[in-house]
Amino acid sequence: MKASFGKATEANRAQVRSAVQALEAKELVKSFPGQARKAVDHVSFGLAKGTFFCLLGPSGCGKTTLLRMIGGYHGIDAGQISVMGRDLTTAPPEKRNMGMVFQNYALFPHKTARENVAFGLRMRRVTRRTALARADDMLTRMGLTDDEQGRLPRRLSGGQQQRVALARALVVEPDLLLLDEPMANLDRRLREQLRTELKSIQRRTGITAILVTHDQEEALTLADKVGVMENGRLLQLDKPEIVYRRPTNAFVASFLGDANILGIEGFTDQQMSLEGGLTLAFEGPPPAFHKGRLVLRPEDFQLGRSAEDCPTIWRGHIENTSFAGADRILDVTLGQNLRLKVKCRMDTDMALDSEGYIGLGLKRERPWILETAS
Amino acid sequence: MPPIAKHWPRFALRFLPGLYVVILFLAPLLMVLRVSFYAGGGQSGYGLGSGGFYKPGTWTITNYTTLWHDGYFHDILKFTVELGIGVSFLSVLIGYALAYFIYRMPPRLKPFGYFLVLLPKLTNILVIIYGLKLILSNAGPVNHLLMSLNWVQDPVELSNNLVGVTIGLTYLIVPYVVLVMLAAFSKLDENLIGAARGLGASALNAFWEVTWPQSLPALSLASLMALIWGLGAFMCPYLLGSPDQITLAVEVQRQTFENINWPRGAATAVSMFLALGLCTVVFFGLSRLALRQRGQLR
Repeated sequence: MKASFGKATEANRAQVRSAVQALEAKELVKSFPGQARKAVDHVSFGLAKGTFFCLLGPSGCGKTTLLRMIGGYHGIDAGQISVMGRDLTTAPPEKRNMGMVFQNYALFPHKTARENVAFGLRMRRVTRRTALARADDMLTRMGLTDDEQGRLPRRLSGGQQQRVALARALVVEPDLLLLDEPMANLDRRLREQLRTELKSIQRRTGITAILVTHDQEEALTLADKVGVMENGRLLQLDKPEIVYRRPTNAFVASFLGDANILGIEGFTDQQMSLEGGLTLAFEGPPPAFHKGRLVLRPEDFQLGRSAEDCPTIWRGHIENTSFAGADRILDVTLGQNLRLKVKCRMDTDMALDSEGYIGLGLKRERPWILETAS
Repeated sequence: MPPIAKHWPRFALRFLPGLYVVILFLAPLLMVLRVSFYAGGGQSGYGLGSGGFYKPGTWTITNYTTLWHDGYFHDILKFTVELGIGVSFLSVLIGYALAYFIYRMPPRLKPFGYFLVLLPKLTNILVIIYGLKLILSNAGPVNHLLMSLNWVQDPVELSNNLVGVTIGLTYLIVPYVVLVMLAAFSKLDENLIGAARGLGASALNAFWEVTWPQSLPALSLASLMALIWGLGAFMCPYLLGSPDQITLAVEVQRQTFENINWPRGAATAVSMFLALGLCTVVFFGLSRLALRQRGQLR
């Protein structure tokens, strides 16, 4: 098996292009009084027009704060924001031409759905009649009937309210669409449905969108680019596949999907020694480092019969099996205290050997190295 | 066992508040009503003493008829209603603005805002009014200031007239308006202002389109409360007003305790109850109508 080593890249760099970026953020910093660490800690990135960007991270990582800073709802302690080349660092929200969808939608309770959507237009000096007509148009395209459009928000379902909130943000044709966990309050079915709709609307209008979420599945399915945040820092910004397959550190690796992170202890001829006495075969010149950590995803393993053809085979004991639709998820222990999460298809022949162990083969050619140390 | 005996605690609990209302509210009202229909001298306790209640010959409606034909009574009624409406309007104006101001204060300073507004309520009302009398008097600090700034040459009469009454009443009513409005403001979703701003509304626009409409139900309640208070004004007109500008409440006091004409005093009280009750009901109905039209009646 060939194994060469990908290098862990540094935390993001802005993608420099000659065209004007839809959004350019430089060294943004924000602290809140009474809190030791910064809420947003020197975050920089750029977005090309038409990108669907997902800010992903656990609660308290600063993603919502960052979004609100972009929208103008929080002041910026340091750094710069420019949209379409215009510096908006000190501009108030009403001068930024952005559409924001709040987590609880923030629909005006005393105005009908139509009036809600027309609001932004009226603030831009569009006549009441035209504004209402355009609102009607937009809402019809979102699938709301005439009767529903004339209702107050409290008489609409969660999904309908979300559509109204989205319509209200889009109808003014903003430079940026900002979404703060807009689907957090909906059930799974509705969430998936709205996700698809949101993506197709974004594609159709070509608008640049920034969506904040803690749901990694949402981020991976919706985004053109994913940015993972932790403790105010932007750890990695890249295409979803890259962030998944080549995470820059252990946190990113374990935040997206399941990750088996193993310590590298040394190298001998054509073999990598890992913790727990495991060895991994590799080909090629010996690397420049001696210790580090690598990540293996559950789907990287071959089980049972198909493991036999792999250059690296480990033997483990199945502790637990879970059924996940088309796949089976297994908790496997290797040796004394190594636990791995392994995934295989339902129809895999899991032949156990005479001692009750299962063979785990590594089909992957390059285990992804997370970090190295000499 | 009959249900009442079995669940007597529950019945007692429901019965007690009713008893409270009957004893402390209805009974005195009915007694006043009886006295207002009394004819004759004060021998049998104005109809309330033993055996006096049903005594024939002690019932009359002349107390009312003389009252309602009296031009003096008409003047007092007119003044009471005008004062009530004027003072409540002023109080609501000041109270709303003050409440909004406190609502927008940074969280550190808010408690001070609350405290300053509520301070008058921590002190005895008589102390407040006498204090105001002193402050507004000809030799008091206000006149002192006006004269030292040379805005006036002679002291301005700020007490013992309508100005004094208005200032006093407003001062006493505003804290309640502020409390009601602050309670309403604190229930507002702050994201709504942010949403409005993000959609292009200036701070003023955001207030007018979002905060103001949502504060209307509370405003109607606060206005009603201020009106009830203003119409029933007694202490301020009595102590800070001029003797020829009195309200109905003061007139009741005068008839009953200075003229010792209890029947007439009682008739005045009942008439006051009816007249001001009518004003309140009309106002209440109008405000509900206005709210319903806007679709804001819950």
